[in-house]
Amino acid sequence: MSKTSVIIVGAGPAGLSAAMTLKRLQPETEICVIDKAAEAGNHNLSGATVETGALETLLDAVKPGWKESEAAKEILAYKVAKDNVMFFAGKNFAINIHPMMQLASMFKINFGQMRHQGDYILSISKLTKWLCQLAKEMGVEVIHGFAAEDIIYDTEKNIATGIKLVDQGIDKHGNKQPNYVAGEIINADVIILAEGCDGLVTEKFIQKASLERRAKQLYSVGVKELIRVSDEQFAKFTSGRVVHAMGYPLWTPVLGPEMFGGGVMHPVSANHIAVGMIVGLDWKYCDFNPQDALTNFKNHKFVKKFIEGGTIVEAGAKMIPEGGYFALPRAEQTRAIGRGNVLILGDAAGLVNMIKIKGLHNAIKSGIAAGEAIALCTNNITYTASKYTELLNSMGVIEEMKTASRFRQNVAKLGPLFGMPITALGQKVPLFEVEEDYHVMTGRKYKYKPSKNYDKDTFTAMAATQHREEQPSHLTIINRNTCMQKCKPKFDSPCITFCPAGVYETVGDEVKPANPSNCLHCKTCQRKCPFDNIRWTVPEGSGGPRYKNM
Amino acid sequence: MLWVNSYINGMSDYIVLVKQVPDITQITDNAFNLETGTLIRSRLASVINELDTNALAIAGRMNQLSDKPGKIIALTMGPPAAEEVLRYCLARRCDSAVLLTDKALGGADTCATANPLAFAIKKIAKELLGGSEDYYVVSGMQSVDGDTAQVPAQIAEELNMPCLPYVTDVEYKNGRFEFKGIISGGSQVISNKKVPAVITVAKYEYPLFATFAGTRLASNFKFIQWGANDINATHIGINGSKTRVISVFPPGKTTRKCRGVKDAGELAKLMVENFGKERQSGESAHDNYVLPGKRKNLFDRRFEGTKKESEDYKILADVLAKLEIKEIKQITDEVKEKIAAAASEHFHKKALEDMLAGAQVFEPAYQGQVWIAAELEGDVIHPATFELIGKARDLADSLGTQVGVVIAGNNLETKELIAAGADFVYAIEHPLLGEFDPVIYRKVFSDTIAKYWPQIVLFAATPQGRIVAPMIAYRLGCGLTADCTGLDIRDSSRKNQVAILMQTRPALGGNVMATICTKDSKCQMATARPGVMKRLAPDAKRIGKVIKEAAEISETDLSVDIIKTEKGKGKVNLGADVVVSGGKGMQSRDNYESLVNSLVESLKHKLGTSVEKGASRAAVEQGFIDRIHQVGQTGTAIGPKLYIALGISGAIQHMIGVANSDIIVAVNSDPNAPIFKHCDYYIVGTIEKVVPQISEALAKI
Repeated sequence: MSKTSVIIVGAGPAGLSAAMTLKRLQPETEICVIDKAAEAGNHNLSGATVETGALETLLDAVKPGWKESEAAKEILAYKVAKDNVMFFAGKNFAINIHPMMQLASMFKINFGQMRHQGDYILSISKLTKWLCQLAKEMGVEVIHGFAAEDIIYDTEKNIATGIKLVDQGIDKHGNKQPNYVAGEIINADVIILAEGCDGLVTEKFIQKASLERRAKQLYSVGVKELIRVSDEQFAKFTSGRVVHAMGYPLWTPVLGPEMFGGGVMHPVSANHIAVGMIVGLDWKYCDFNPQDALTNFKNHKFVKKFIEGGTIVEAGAKMIPEGGYFALPRAEQTRAIGRGNVLILGDAAGLVNMIKIKGLHNAIKSGIAAGEAIALCTNNITYTASKYTELLNSMGVIEEMKTASRFRQNVAKLGPLFGMPITALGQKVPLFEVEEDYHVMTGRKYKYKPSKNYDKDTFTAMAATQHREEQPSHLTIINRNTCMQKCKPKFDSPCITFCPAGVYETVGDEVKPANPSNCLHCKTCQRKCPFDNIRWTVPEGSGGPRYKNM
Repeated sequence: MLWVNSYINGMSDYIVLVKQVPDITQITDNAFNLETGTLIRSRLASVINELDTNALAIAGRMNQLSDKPGKIIALTMGPPAAEEVLRYCLARRCDSAVLLTDKALGGADTCATANPLAFAIKKIAKELLGGSEDYYVVSGMQSVDGDTAQVPAQIAEELNMPCLPYVTDVEYKNGRFEFKGIISGGSQVISNKKVPAVITVAKYEYPLFATFAGTRLASNFKFIQWGANDINATHIGINGSKTRVISVFPPGKTTRKCRGVKDAGELAKLMVENFGKERQSGESAHDNYVLPGKRKNLFDRRFEGTKKESEDYKILADVLAKLEIKEIKQITDEVKEKIAAAASEHFHKKALEDMLAGAQVFEPAYQGQVWIAAELEGDVIHPATFELIGKARDLADSLGTQVGVVIAGNNLETKELIAAGADFVYAIEHPLLGEFDPVIYRKVFSDTIAKYWPQIVLFAATPQGRIVAPMIAYRLGCGLTADCTGLDIRDSSRKNQVAILMQTRPALGGNVMATICTKDSKCQMATARPGVMKRLAPDAKRIGKVIKEAAEISETDLSVDIIKTEKGKGKVNLGADVVVSGGKGMQSRDNYESLVNSLVESLKHKLGTSVEKGASRAAVEQGFIDRIHQVGQTGTAIGPKLYIALGISGAIQHMIGVANSDIIVAVNSDPNAPIFKHCDYYIVGTIEKVVPQISEALAKI
């Protein structure tokens, strides 16, 4: 058994910001950050446009002069100079709707937030790697390759005592191998859950500590490819440009598909352009795969010229928590995001502003708030979660979440065509009751299904994902009969299609997570299986994708 | 040195050798030089050599099994960043760690790597293990970047220890360790007679997991750091090396035919017709080497080690021809000025002088015969020995010398060797040579080589060859290149060396090729990959001479007890001529068994050769067949004459592992299966339908 003062689950921007802030305020405090990825940044993927205000606040305090460092210059190399917000009407036609956003901004309508002026285009993998290095330099212990499985929580006293790591060295059939190591327990005074979207321990904690969400958490999944393009293509695209595109291939009028989301395109480094597709998990088409939409996006006239003939050099997928303000998990009485000595940060809490389509700035702010709260509550640790939530309020995070609240619920209820504009009315719209995303599956087909299957093998190879293959599958199907008797006849097993890594397959007369070692840890399956029949558990540490520039 | 039965307390310590290597499983997009196609090592991430993690696990296991646990100390040599691999070990039960780092140690070949490591081991034993002699040096069999497997054996040679190679498991019985290890065509259980001893690990299923507590400890651990001056090694760095790299170049591009076939009958026909046809490799176009003295033109230097050198000499020859210089003695100082003026647009003055000096060298750099060290598998001569004799014949003919074969064993049969092309057979017979013991074998081979000093000695890169060759080379102070796929006589005129052996081998997991030659050695030595060189048709009428050599060995020279030898049955021979693999498309274990087995049988019958079953990772995951059959990057990398992939989609990881196959045939029901872009012939169709059709068609041909 190990012991530390503060344990942070998840070495992403939120967790590291908390560690760095606390270390700055209390250099003597023992802080330990654990992460299931093999190396720093390996499990971090984002859409790339970032408001750097929060990052500046964090780093100005812990690392004065940071802007002059080589690493900072490399990471913040691209400032948004050209912000294209596009509407794609069909596969050839594109309209720039950025002026509308500007107008909205002038009239202080919440949609004005959808602009990216002053933002930076950066790789969250790289940023995380660098933050990790800075945290280590400050004396924070950041330990990769260890996956947390559970939180040790006393429901009587409402206090957590530690984290349990996953067992290692179990074979496929559940037997202990000669190298078996039982998951260690790390005891700590304060526990920070910064696991990212749909955190395994976070969700367990929400149950154990009876936290509530006023609205169900809703999700999107983003799939992204990094493409090496020619000098000419890159020069034409320009290095400071970011493109967000709504409409085709997710939504087209009258008979077209009706899905929420859109495409993204941005530069990553010299001659490398990323293309991504984000889709709300409440799609209705049983044969839909977000990668198909990505293919269509790549073939759109506007996009194609920049990337045609390029080589995919990296790829990945990740979910985004989109429920917004009303889906924040809160303690019953205190309304704290967390409870007692346990705090929930960043994406794990769901601090994504859906109008901005951004969460990183809030993740960092939540880290700063957590670090400060712990420092302020040294003598009263059970008040830490409340203090943290107070600070989130005073830092304006909660207020910002409120301005974007209801957005995703409106869209889920009314569809993108009406749901999106109605959000402009802000708080005046009632909060629609919306079921979890998986409920809406139908037998309908996606209209723009490409003729060729998406090459998932290359996708996973480019995500460099890897797991120890002899371990038990970390994906489980709760009821096997459901798959063949209900799901197959009704929806033709959508998990096989939508899993970006091709984990699921029909083998013999069964649908199975046949390739668990391809898993990218996006957890879409657990949230999109139309019968809620899949559970994602955490595999042995060091498994999963190995993103470098995502 | 202690005899194992004189164990006093049954407590051994362990020194684990670990190496930081580039991560060749994750070759990034920008890792290749786009102009030359060469892999740039510095652009790859660094990881611990995987087999070294297995070695650490074996050491951990030994420590767990023995009566009293001792210490485990990790040792690495490399740049300061190599401390990462020591942290890996400390997070997994190591008690201490030593980093051997010094610029002076850089650029070393295996000899100049083994030497300082051996000296560091001595220092560890003395200073950290209290002068104990009861310890084991445990190391991965080879590293993924070098792939030579030479360093551990050479350390054993330097330290005069037994070397137990290719260990895959360990048990502890009656107060001593019993090691299970790989031998050619089977496995063996052996025990070391003496300690300290070197163990090389070929595979261990259960590498250790880091513990959280250990990882925390490791991150703040103060390593012991030694430099070259701390260990007083005798051969270090570039100067201590016995080989030099002539050139590094990308491997030839794979040129698969990717031809879709409609009919199973046609596919069967194509398989049979093309079986045994080698895949085109750019190399076969080489002219046969001619000694410089025997070339028509005195200044003809066509056979330089690199194309660039040959071209330079061609320019020089043209200049000399223009000046009507036909003899060496015409090249006076005055004429030299003229040549310099005429060639000034091509060469600097100094470069030209070096070339001219080189052009006057006609005497081969080495003298003596071309030898093969034969290998016995039981009483039978290993097929690779005959392949090497074929190659040696070639080399010896161009050098104008003879082929010698040195063979050691009990009751030797030598006729076949002469029929295969040997002029001389040096036969060392002794009852103690009945079973392979590396220490004894290396002694008798070394003694015989040192008696005659041939100019070249070649070994087969088999498990046996790869353990005994490095010991012999080290013992005789000669360079050794491992696992060569090309061996040619070439000149290095500019370095005043002609008729030297250019040894070409793949490195970094086959991602680059390197041509290497021997330096500062009396003899050029190499091990050559089995199945690459061609044997000659045996000629029973050939005449050769058998010379009996005495073996000066006794019982006390034996280093290991052989407890059990298992061969043949049940073993998986993924080195077979034909491999038939099933993938997830086989749907079920029953399907896999019936379809793959039936095709294997028909192919065996039709082609009359070895056929083995393989499987993709996915098929193994589904439990269709044992993991030992897994082919690909994470399984076994293979290069059969014919590879048949049934229901395998062709993920990159799989295709890398079969890239060396001569012919690849694929059957898959998905018309977009990526494998179709990486194979020679394919057919789109369900496995259940197509496979029986192929079997049927094979029977009819």
